[in-house]
Amino acid sequence: MNQAAPAPRENQGDPVVRIDARLKVTGQAGYPADIVTANVAHGALATSSIARGKVSELHTKDARAVPGVLDIVTYGDLDKTDMPKFGNTGASSIGPLHDKTVFHDGQIIALVVAESFEAAEEAAMLIRADYEDERPSASFDSKGVKMEPAAGKSPMFKEDAKAGDFDAAWADATVKIDEKYSTPTQHHNPIELFSTTAMWQGDQLTIHEPSQNVTGWKVELARQLKLDQANVRIVSPYIGGAFGSKGPMTARTAIVAVAARRIGRPVRCVVNRMQAFGTQTYRAETRHRIRMGAGKDGRITAFGHEAWEVTSRPDPYVVGGTSATARMYNYGSVLTHVSLVHADRNTPGYMRSPPETPYVYALENAMDEMAVALGMDPVEFRRINEPEKEPIGGKPFSSRSLIKCYDQASEAFGWSKRDPTVGSMRDGDWLVGMGCATAIYPTAAAPCAARVRLTADGEVRVQCGSHEIGTGVRTIAGQMAAERLGVGMDKISVEMGDSALPPAPVSGGSISTASVCSAVMKACDAIREKLFAAAAGKGAPLAGSANAKLDLKDEEVVTETGKSAKLADVFKAMQVGAIEEYAEFAPKGSSPEALSKLYAGQSEFHGGENDEDSVKYAFGAEFVEVRINSYTREIRVPRIVGAFAAGRIMNTRTARSQLMGGMIWGIGQALHEATEIDQRHARYVNRDLQDYLVPVNADIKQVDVILVPEIDHQVNPAGVKGLGELGNVGTAAAVASAVYHATGKRIRDLPIRIDDLIG
Amino acid sequence: MSDAKISSGLSRRMFMTASVSAAAVMPLVNSPTRAAQPASAKPAEPRDLSAVSMRINKQTYNLALDNRTSLLDALRDHVGLTGTKKGCDHGQCGACTVLIDGKRVLSCLSFAVMNQGREITTVEGLASAEGELHPVQKAFVDHDAFQCGYCTPGQIMSAIGCINEGHAGSEDDIREYMSGNLCRCAAYPNIVAAIVQARDETRRA
Repeated sequence: MNQAAPAPRENQGDPVVRIDARLKVTGQAGYPADIVTANVAHGALATSSIARGKVSELHTKDARAVPGVLDIVTYGDLDKTDMPKFGNTGASSIGPLHDKTVFHDGQIIALVVAESFEAAEEAAMLIRADYEDERPSASFDSKGVKMEPAAGKSPMFKEDAKAGDFDAAWADATVKIDEKYSTPTQHHNPIELFSTTAMWQGDQLTIHEPSQNVTGWKVELARQLKLDQANVRIVSPYIGGAFGSKGPMTARTAIVAVAARRIGRPVRCVVNRMQAFGTQTYRAETRHRIRMGAGKDGRITAFGHEAWEVTSRPDPYVVGGTSATARMYNYGSVLTHVSLVHADRNTPGYMRSPPETPYVYALENAMDEMAVALGMDPVEFRRINEPEKEPIGGKPFSSRSLIKCYDQASEAFGWSKRDPTVGSMRDGDWLVGMGCATAIYPTAAAPCAARVRLTADGEVRVQCGSHEIGTGVRTIAGQMAAERLGVGMDKISVEMGDSALPPAPVSGGSISTASVCSAVMKACDAIREKLFAAAAGKGAPLAGSANAKLDLKDEEVVTETGKSAKLADVFKAMQVGAIEEYAEFAPKGSSPEALSKLYAGQSEFHGGENDEDSVKYAFGAEFVEVRINSYTREIRVPRIVGAFAAGRIMNTRTARSQLMGGMIWGIGQALHEATEIDQRHARYVNRDLQDYLVPVNADIKQVDVILVPEIDHQVNPAGVKGLGELGNVGTAAAVASAVYHATGKRIRDLPIRIDDLIG
Repeated sequence: MSDAKISSGLSRRMFMTASVSAAAVMPLVNSPTRAAQPASAKPAEPRDLSAVSMRINKQTYNLALDNRTSLLDALRDHVGLTGTKKGCDHGQCGACTVLIDGKRVLSCLSFAVMNQGREITTVEGLASAEGELHPVQKAFVDHDAFQCGYCTPGQIMSAIGCINEGHAGSEDDIREYMSGNLCRCAAYPNIVAAIVQARDETRRA
């Protein structure tokens, strides 16, 4: 046992080593751009240098003259295809080569295809465009942006949450906070570059591309290219980090497919890091105004959360995190309003905890400010406002272990040793600050299918079109099968990341463990029924035993009384070599067409605040120590402790790693990450990994994860709450709170940098 | 391209410019069909091909490569060793780290033709012929020092370099000397723990 493999507590699974660990440390895990294929041509993108206007003329002569150039795909060449659609599967409605309109800087204007990567890059750099350019609107304060209420603009955000009479409660409140907060533009920057490799065999198209939604992409790409869905296959067995960036398909996929068809050869396009900033999605900047009123007893009587989000001109991308902030505490009254601000930018998209990261940052900062205003311990302040029911719909929580999380994390952290006086804790030249905040993430699940095969020798194959983005879902799907079928992990193989497999929902919204495990469990249980019926049948090895009293252990069917029959003998009795079951899981409350929608590439989410019976969330509490050099104002985070409760934990190893990674993301949100925008040109400036700062090894020291036991039978059959996005919610507020504690400076605009603390 | 037929893609011959001295399975790779310049010829045009011979994972490879081809692209696209990863192509992420003559180097910042006669080790060359993992590989498994696994080959090669350089003396040293290798999943504490284990095992050996 080491720190990476925490001993399981109640309702927690073993820290089984990742099923693909060996492949990953030997370089044998095949990421989509690794596919070795004969005769592949290389693609390189050319992108716009303006953010708003029209391409009047494209000059490709010089590019075509580069030796090795095979083709240039540009305006007109996609006319026989359909425009991309904006939605859960498509990143944007902008079809960059369908129309010469430029909607944002860095928009694709051509794809060069050449014999070599070097020739393609050289030629792409020689493409020149003449533009009719207009002055772009970059962000919130730019002239020419269009603002509209977000509610009802997207199926993901139907209405602004409210409860009670906010205005009256606000007017009456004894202690008030009225503050503004902001979060910056951020790009996912997974270390794997975005890429598409397209191969045609007759009418059959295979796409190798990192994807969090192979089934959705198959359907959407078939629509764009006017192909039969059966002729399109998306392959993505390993994904080199996703964080939401590989959820929606971008316009590039169809463009590369068209190029491959034109030249009659496979084409691979690996997008360079700089171009990814404009051709993929990102987390848009947000602004918040929070008004909070409380009585002297510390009870919140009024909570107002107004927010503004940036999106592109054509697409109403909205995250609307007020759905969660409005249900967090026992507010007496709630008023929320979210606005969308359309600017000349590429369409934003999901990035790890899309609504919660910015919105809970604002809320938790305000909670800390209110605790200070009340002269109250911030943990105690949260305890006082712990709700029995959520304040908007009055529904109970399916489970809520927030206070347990606070208790276990604060004890491990040593919160009682904190002197609450600002600036009072010091270690030599270093000012010490301690802060805390709440993490919350909605628990959802979606329809999912899986196929499981057991053979007489005890070998198990699990097939499910989900996606191994680093979460460990391949491992835990295998663990679920191993547990239900009574075999060791060495007997398990798991196939994922291929649209030819049984369909699974998009790997987003922290739904994969719950959805995949529920489907795998159902398939395994069907196999168990068949085996038990055969084992207990007339003349069979365990004749006369009741099915319900049987179990599978160590490749044997066992009875309660200790009798057993070897799997091989039961198979012999059945006269079969393999039992294979295909199972479809749909969460409680699913629509009658939810499963058919799964095959059409649409994921119907259930859970969170949308269920009738209860609201479903996972919770956590994070405590951070910061040290700020009294001379240079350098900010260090020597330790962070997080305690999280997320129902059944399938594997304490992968769960800890994900939560740890999430908390480090949170430190990055607090202190490092921001995409800078040139306001005149609506252009991202720091488009590489040198200038877009993410935490490096030296930024991180001690990170402690506590997995708080929790049992929740309401959420889904597996009893699992997702936790991939929980860890980085609240972290930035905890850091901001610690910075305030150390320095007395309340930084409300992320990221917190040295220059914010000087003077 | 002088051969006009190539643009149709139909009449194009598969052409191998790589040859391997050992009886390894040849990856399916292609390069332009022009004759290779010997590496010692006068300064070549950027687009020209040059002959370069390297030892990669203890096998000799004779390659004809575009002068602009990075060692990283040579490994991935011309030799078929795709364990080494491209994350930025600018020397900013560390995913492409390999060992050249035992020292860790960012293969995206090294032109392939600069490596004439050098001994290159990639992640594929670490485990023993019997399949026994290198102590660093084993430690990465034990400590769950990755999630998505994409930066992992670079982290492992860099960790070997870090230990060999004597920069793994303390956890703080490891953090500092491993900061050229980004891990977006942020497995950093696990990476440090893995390197400590591998360092101690290497010292005992």
